[in-house]
Amino acid sequence: MINETINLTFRDQMKVLARLLKYVFPYKRLISLAFLMLILTTVAGVMVPYLVMIFIDNYLSPMQFPEQDISILIILFFIVEIIAVVCGYFQAYLFQVLAFKVIQQLRIDSFEKIGTLGMKYFDVVPSGSVVSRLTNDTQSIVDMFVSVLSTFMMALFMVLSSFVMMFILDFKLAFIAFLFVPIIVLIIGIYRKYSAIYFGKARGYLSELNAKIAESIDGMNVIQAFNQEERLQKEFEETNHNFYHYNVKNIKLDGLLLRPAFDMIYILAISIILSYFGVMSFGSVVTAGVVFAFIQYMERFFEPINQVSQNLNILQQALVSASRVFTLMDDERHEPEQIKETEVITDGHIEFKNVTFSYDGKVDVLKNISFEVKPGETVALVGHTGSGKSSIINLIMRFYEFNEGDILIDSHSIKNISRESMKKNIGLVLQDPFVFYGTVESNIKLYHPTMTFEEVKRAAEFVSANTFIEALPEGYHQKVTEKGSSFSSGERQLLAFARTIATEPKILILDEATANIDSRTEEEIQKSLEKMRKNRTTLAIAHRLSTIQDADQIIVLNRGEIVEKGTHLELIAMKGIYHKMYQLQNGITNLS
Amino acid sequence: MRVYKNLAWFFKAYYKHYILGVIMLLLVALLQLVPPQVIGRTIDFINTDTLTVNILIGLVVLLIAVALLMYLFRYLWRLLIFATANRLGLELRSQLFKKYVSMSPSFYQKHRTGDLMAHATNDINAVNMVAGAGILTIADSIISGGAVLITMAVTVDAKLTLIAMIPLPFMVILTSYYGLMLHKLFRVAQAAFSSLNDKTQESIAGIKVTKTFGYEKEDLEDFTDLSAEVVRKNLSVAKIDALFNPTITAIIGISYFLSIFFGAKMVISDEITIGQLVTFTTYLGMMVWPLLALGMFFNILQRGNASYDRIIKILNSKDSIKVTHEISSVPEGDIEFKIDTFRFDDSDTVTLRDVHFTVSPGDTVGIVGQTGSGKSTLIRLLLREYDPNKLEEVTYGGQPLSHFDVQTIRKKFGLVPQENFLFSTTIRDNIAFTNPGAPMEEIIEAAKNSYIHHDIERFQYGYDTVVGQRGVSLSGGQKQRISIARALIMDPDVLILDDSLSAVDAETEKAILNNLEKLRSGKTNIITAHRMSAVMDADKIIVMSNGTVLEMGTHDELMENKCWYYDTYKTQSLIQSLEHDLEVITDEEASDHD
Repeated sequence: MINETINLTFRDQMKVLARLLKYVFPYKRLISLAFLMLILTTVAGVMVPYLVMIFIDNYLSPMQFPEQDISILIILFFIVEIIAVVCGYFQAYLFQVLAFKVIQQLRIDSFEKIGTLGMKYFDVVPSGSVVSRLTNDTQSIVDMFVSVLSTFMMALFMVLSSFVMMFILDFKLAFIAFLFVPIIVLIIGIYRKYSAIYFGKARGYLSELNAKIAESIDGMNVIQAFNQEERLQKEFEETNHNFYHYNVKNIKLDGLLLRPAFDMIYILAISIILSYFGVMSFGSVVTAGVVFAFIQYMERFFEPINQVSQNLNILQQALVSASRVFTLMDDERHEPEQIKETEVITDGHIEFKNVTFSYDGKVDVLKNISFEVKPGETVALVGHTGSGKSSIINLIMRFYEFNEGDILIDSHSIKNISRESMKKNIGLVLQDPFVFYGTVESNIKLYHPTMTFEEVKRAAEFVSANTFIEALPEGYHQKVTEKGSSFSSGERQLLAFARTIATEPKILILDEATANIDSRTEEEIQKSLEKMRKNRTTLAIAHRLSTIQDADQIIVLNRGEIVEKGTHLELIAMKGIYHKMYQLQNGITNLS
Repeated sequence: MRVYKNLAWFFKAYYKHYILGVIMLLLVALLQLVPPQVIGRTIDFINTDTLTVNILIGLVVLLIAVALLMYLFRYLWRLLIFATANRLGLELRSQLFKKYVSMSPSFYQKHRTGDLMAHATNDINAVNMVAGAGILTIADSIISGGAVLITMAVTVDAKLTLIAMIPLPFMVILTSYYGLMLHKLFRVAQAAFSSLNDKTQESIAGIKVTKTFGYEKEDLEDFTDLSAEVVRKNLSVAKIDALFNPTITAIIGISYFLSIFFGAKMVISDEITIGQLVTFTTYLGMMVWPLLALGMFFNILQRGNASYDRIIKILNSKDSIKVTHEISSVPEGDIEFKIDTFRFDDSDTVTLRDVHFTVSPGDTVGIVGQTGSGKSTLIRLLLREYDPNKLEEVTYGGQPLSHFDVQTIRKKFGLVPQENFLFSTTIRDNIAFTNPGAPMEEIIEAAKNSYIHHDIERFQYGYDTVVGQRGVSLSGGQKQRISIARALIMDPDVLILDDSLSAVDAETEKAILNNLEKLRSGKTNIITAHRMSAVMDADKIIVMSNGTVLEMGTHDELMENKCWYYDTYKTQSLIQSLEHDLEVITDEEASDHD
């Protein structure tokens, strides 16, 4: 089954519920008000049959109608009704307000948590599931708050208040009525047991159905090209039938154990009330009003139970969702913390000192790495996939924490430099540039608080992105949608350059893009890169050797170790790996 | 009501269920009239001191019998009406899926996946409601409401009934108005929610950029604003939603007051008894549901109508692929492209111009050219994803493709598509896609021939490894090779590799091509590629540029031509040898250090 079913034990459920309720506590005034409204509504609700009872027994039966008493009774009736209506409205509304406030806080907290998680979290957990925690799971908690918790509260109050009134009216009969409670609890228990199974299955098949439809739509050309329509149709029908089958089971279960059952018990309860009063009437006086009121209270006792039991599945589902959200919030894969935030970057002098690093604690991907990048210099990292180039960037960007050796910027450990100074002064250009939903301008500016439009334009001009931007129908205000799919990858790269250069970082980290860029854009990009590197400390990963010949230092990495280090000329003189690489490079320049 | 007319086929098929179900509803409606009567009578017997043990036993036994029968009938109508309604969902979902698998790509360009999903989920649910809750609400409001109303008038008093009913129509009007408002507001709230969803998705996809620039706080603020918007929109829903119960309370309260006020007067004037008054008020409470149901019915109907229209529109949509007269025979012989011009359905731009060439049986034909040169369009025409503007411009054995049954044509071809789409199932099932029962040896054979067997063996679960979102994520090259195995296992007459060697390295490409040559002697291969190395051994190479044929010939002929093919071949083979050398060097160095 595709749907993951988390089975929470009763204790887990209570724990999750308790943690969820903690989110409610800060809204003390709101809760108090909501509960006050709830109490008023319930009390007003119970008062109506009571007033009618008084009217029947004291006035109607004896056929006496003193005008003043009746007027008071009528006024009371209307006051009670108005209270029930007005407070009823506000309690329903306020509980929803409460629910949404709680959810908003929950969402903000989880989103904030995501901001503190390190790349080691995002590199492992699929983004889809993170998104689903924040949106769908929290949404199903809303459903619970709205349709269960407030119904629950109201039901509880109604049941209790009805009981209190029954006890006031007739102690013994109320006690007999109370005997129905264990039966009701038993029925709900049986219902829960089976419905958890059937409901879970139906849900599972539903998500399987949806997954099948979605996947078939995505892969339709493959399905059709291979003539597999009929087979997939058959598979789909099977799931479709299973879904139907469990839906019907649910309907049967609901029919056997929910409303029809409770309604039957309600009528049985009435027959007991009537026999009780009937038998009583043989020996003493029984008034019509009391019988009437008792039956009304009995109804008020059953109706909320009906409603709540129908919503129990939502509660269960919400608790599973909540437990997923809390698992996210409890995740320990945080981003590296700064030990102190006292130092700042002034010149951009980078030094790696005996850095050894491992992702999993077993295999070292960087072994005793030491090198230096002086302010304004360019150092290029050369090597194969898995040589450790990307890991060096992951460490200097503080995406991952390292424990052996140290990385110094302006002779301060990067663990002691303030986050603000790090982010402001280190600019990273990713291999696969990410473009946000918004406009061209907003993609260069991002959330920068003070950047002016002129500065945005200047940055774009600096990296020669202005040519393609100005050719757009709406220039800098052109809308960017769906991850910038309307731009070529070269254009997206230029946008990323502009975005980086706009903040004027002292240090530039470049993860050179290789794939999917046609040669014309490639040339422009190289020109822009050259301009960007001028007077900036640059650490560049180079996949193409031709682009880094002028680097002040070239470091050749292999399986986590530095195997060669020096300027282009020095490395050539060394006649090592780089030399061979250079010869190959030369070959291609000669021939083309 | 239109939707019921449209759904007549369904109701006709299950009319027995529905008739029985409605009879059950009727029985329940009648039975539920009994308890208030029993209550009223008992009160009157007590009040007038005329209650005897026998009468009491009789009344209580009646009540218990009613309770049991109602339980039975209530269970039965649920089974008859709700369970049957689910059959409609079952049926529609399967019809829709059938439609989806029969439609060509142009359909999928017109309809977004999200919409197609929504038809199969939300829209079907809405139509399901029409056949289930819709029938219940209309039947219940008429039967149950009618029964209660008549009983009130007959057994108590007609005048009192009329008075008590005065406020009730307002309840119907107000609650159905709220229902409509809610529906609208809910859509607004839903839109806010989906923009929050988009925002979250983007934030997570762009997390590296955000972290680099240190904009976590600003991103959170943005998120907070959006989620506040979601709350605001939802609270405007809540404002209306909270009106339901108080409105009912208020209107029933007034009705209640009217009946007791005027009822009391009638008790005084001896027109009715106190017991009857109690019975009357109990009946009044029973009028709430039928009236609410009436309002609900109209909302269900409205949503169902809109949803059914959308579903029917999809089910009735015509495919753009034309079927002229179908030949049952299997196409044999030459495949000929004789295209003067081709443009996609409603496009102004000409995609292909003057493309004329023949693929003879047993030939390997390579098609090369830059992205957008028209290579893939040729493949799409061949697979009948689209039809040529003039049907006779693409022929198989002299007959236009449209003369053959689509399925027969497609059976001739084994396609390795560009996008390397794999299903989220096991690798075994992906390879054995065309023949799920294929013996393991065949699957392994195909995997070996496409050079993926060793990769698969290295996975923890081997051929049972699940790929895709919930399983192992494969590299582009691995996906391509599995796609090749999937096509090879069916041993097609015509194998089509649509740029499907782009992500494998040069040596693997070479090895796969060698295997193909051995395996497919006497059979036809069509290979489109960016890399010339993938087609250099072909019997015929077609160089496409801007939708037209730039060069055509064998490798040797084209090399002599010294045109685009020559240039590209030279550059690419240089890059390849460079990459190869680099790999050897680093490997040597690595072994030095180890």
